[in-house]
Amino acid sequence: MSIDKKRLKKNLQNCPYLTAISIIWLFLTIGGVILLWYRDYGGLEWRSLWSSPVFAVIMEKEMHGSVTGLPPTEPAMVKIPDTDRDNGVQEENKIPAVMETLEKDSEHAEQMRSFLAQKEQEEKEMAKIVEEEAEEPVGQTVFVDYDPVETDSIYYEDAGKLALTTDYAYTKVKEEYFTDAVFLGDSRTMGIADYAGLDADFYCENGMTVYKLLDEKGVTYQKTGEKADLNQVMQQKHYGKIYLMLGMNELGYGNTEYFLEHYQAVLEQIRQWQPQAIIFLMANLHVNREKNNLNTEFNNININAKNAAIATLANGTDTFYLDSNPLFTDEEGLLKDDLTFDGVHLYANNYAQWRDFLMEHGVVRKNNRSDENVETHRPAEYQAEINQIK
Amino acid sequence: MLFSSVEFLFRFLPVFMLLYLAVPGKYRNLVLLSGSLLFYGAGEPYYVLLLVLSILVNYGAGRLIIDKKETYGKITLILSICYNFGVLFVFKYWDFAAQNLNRLLGGISSGEMIPFLSLALPLGISFYTFQIVSYLIDCYNGRIGEKVSFTAFASYVTMFPQLIAGPIVKYEEVAERMKERKIHPKAVESGLKLFSIGLGYKVLLANQIGTLWNSIMTAGAGNLSVAVAWLGAFAYSFQIYFDFWGYSLMAKGLGRMLGFRIPKNFDDPYMSRSVSEFWRRWHITLGRWFKEYLYIPLGGNRKGYVRTAFNLLVVWTLTGLWHGADFNFALWGLLFFVLLSIEKKGFGKWLEQKKVIGHIYVIVLIPVTWVIFAISDMHQLGMYLQNMIGIHASNALAGSEQVFRYIKQYGVLFILCVLFATPYPMKQYQKYKYKWYTVVIIVAIFWFSVYEIMSGSNNPFLYFRF
Repeated sequence: MSIDKKRLKKNLQNCPYLTAISIIWLFLTIGGVILLWYRDYGGLEWRSLWSSPVFAVIMEKEMHGSVTGLPPTEPAMVKIPDTDRDNGVQEENKIPAVMETLEKDSEHAEQMRSFLAQKEQEEKEMAKIVEEEAEEPVGQTVFVDYDPVETDSIYYEDAGKLALTTDYAYTKVKEEYFTDAVFLGDSRTMGIADYAGLDADFYCENGMTVYKLLDEKGVTYQKTGEKADLNQVMQQKHYGKIYLMLGMNELGYGNTEYFLEHYQAVLEQIRQWQPQAIIFLMANLHVNREKNNLNTEFNNININAKNAAIATLANGTDTFYLDSNPLFTDEEGLLKDDLTFDGVHLYANNYAQWRDFLMEHGVVRKNNRSDENVETHRPAEYQAEINQIK
Repeated sequence: MLFSSVEFLFRFLPVFMLLYLAVPGKYRNLVLLSGSLLFYGAGEPYYVLLLVLSILVNYGAGRLIIDKKETYGKITLILSICYNFGVLFVFKYWDFAAQNLNRLLGGISSGEMIPFLSLALPLGISFYTFQIVSYLIDCYNGRIGEKVSFTAFASYVTMFPQLIAGPIVKYEEVAERMKERKIHPKAVESGLKLFSIGLGYKVLLANQIGTLWNSIMTAGAGNLSVAVAWLGAFAYSFQIYFDFWGYSLMAKGLGRMLGFRIPKNFDDPYMSRSVSEFWRRWHITLGRWFKEYLYIPLGGNRKGYVRTAFNLLVVWTLTGLWHGADFNFALWGLLFFVLLSIEKKGFGKWLEQKKVIGHIYVIVLIPVTWVIFAISDMHQLGMYLQNMIGIHASNALAGSEQVFRYIKQYGVLFILCVLFATPYPMKQYQKYKYKWYTVVIIVAIFWFSVYEIMSGSNNPFLYFRF
């Protein structure tokens, strides 16, 4: 069978759109094949091209569930033990009960008992330290270990430990405390900006990441709605407190080490600009059951891995780790369904609780403490709900 | 596999089309059938078996109805309809029914009297069930006279352009083309153009405006000022329209590329002046199905006002529930029943004459109905509707500040949505579709859509949950 050239030509003229799309398709396909070849045999920095959407069309073998249109298969049950949800009075009574249940579980009992003993010891020591060094107390960030789950992802693995809010004698503060505060973050910080009613500076944006935060393109300043370059802002204005909350949009970009490296770099840069500021590293909020998908990198294990990494950067003197997850998550560590529409962000009315949490976790330097009436307290919240850790 | 996915656009469709065009005419149905099963199986590897079972059972039933019409025709029809709706019920409504029955029976005994099945909804089951039932009834009514070959029937049911989200095609509409169809390059060209426009509606309008609805719902249904609540209602109204219309347009375009004529599903519904008119222009093939296979058999409007009202009640409750197994869908259907009953008394005619009032009536009411459609949680729904009329339990947290920001962010998109909800762009397209600049524009739409698909991840078809 020979091709009728005349007919082909006529058809091509009649079908400019079809021709155009076919050319695009051919271009992408051939381009993709060449890139694959380069990737496999070297010779070209293909990584940069990989991220270009055009070539990714052909090359990326597995897209995210939502793009392929496959319904997220079976809502994965991930148990992130959420240790410090019930803070307060009952804490004291909990441990005997926990011990009892642990007796039954002989495998873990020994481990847990030693953990508890160690914990108690630590606490005593801490209390001592706090008493002794009444000058400037030092907080400590405690990690609770648990058995990590097997994961199969290039983006994360289960950290096997859970970071608790830095233990410290926090001060209960009033709203004026936030007038020299700045919040840096992603869409969740936008929620705080919109609905928590705090009079602070907010530089945040949907989809913000540590990789973009200090970009020259800038971050939206919520008071004006204009983009502002933090490199300039941070050198011009001096803040007393800096709240940093990032990590969600980084879940599917690089692994946890890569993330931590960049997060630390950002933190160090900010510290350099603002040596006097108290920096709060805020934990990323978990997602709800529906959004917690083990088949993708978008799940609480990954969030927890990022949070645990972030918490290692808290030093308890001028950098603190705050975990507000206990306020909003259930006993499995999942964001409660009745607090959220999309499984990721809180309803507007829940930010008041978050604000209260921040107000309970003020850090006021002794030498700056003008108001002697401020109430210093120590939220007893890092006792683990150890029966979760199994 | 979604139309707006890389797999479909860059792998399935080109390969399928090449194969489809390359084989001789008599094998095209076979290629179409296997391609469609592959298309479905890629997303539903298990439920494709259910689909195949349905095809086998219903093909047999159809043959029996035609061959033994006098003797077994009626009983076969009834049994096969029971089979189809039975399957639909088990997969779509069982848990909803069980939940409510358990609640009702809760007073009598404790525990779950009726167990839950927790089955995932097979993709497109509502659509193909209706299509199959229309085929069976048409066989019985003699509208399908001659024998239909198995491949033809199976291709009709599974045809991938309309398999998962309609339009609900009647067999007679594709019967001729099933036997023989010539494929002109020009038809492929114009089909592909329609497809690309539909893709643009879906990806560039529906998905984008959908993020506004999402962020408003994220703030919480009970925290909205009147303005924000209405902004959300309009955003959702546009989202569902461009989503579904975009999909229907893609189906129509693909159908044309394959040599079929798939019926029109939308006719600028937001330009209507009454709710009755709206439903003549929105999801036309579904309305047609209910009218021809339920409303008219029930007696339609020929048996007096009371009987007409009853028929409407049945039709609209079922229309509501067809869209989803939840109370809000039933409520949504019932609201249309009320509105249409009132309009039937002459109010509708009056509205359609008063141009401006009619338009305002539709523009205000339809978004309210979509809010009911969108929110399945009755408590949330109640709060949202209250917010729309200014009743607030506490201060509206999302207020003027948000309105200002949303308008800044979505203002242009809103204007585009309004523009594309009018017949004007399509008219222009029809007029200039062979001009070179139209081609350039559509290539750009295609390109941007692909770009968005690649970079955004939030792109599910709304109608997929039905």
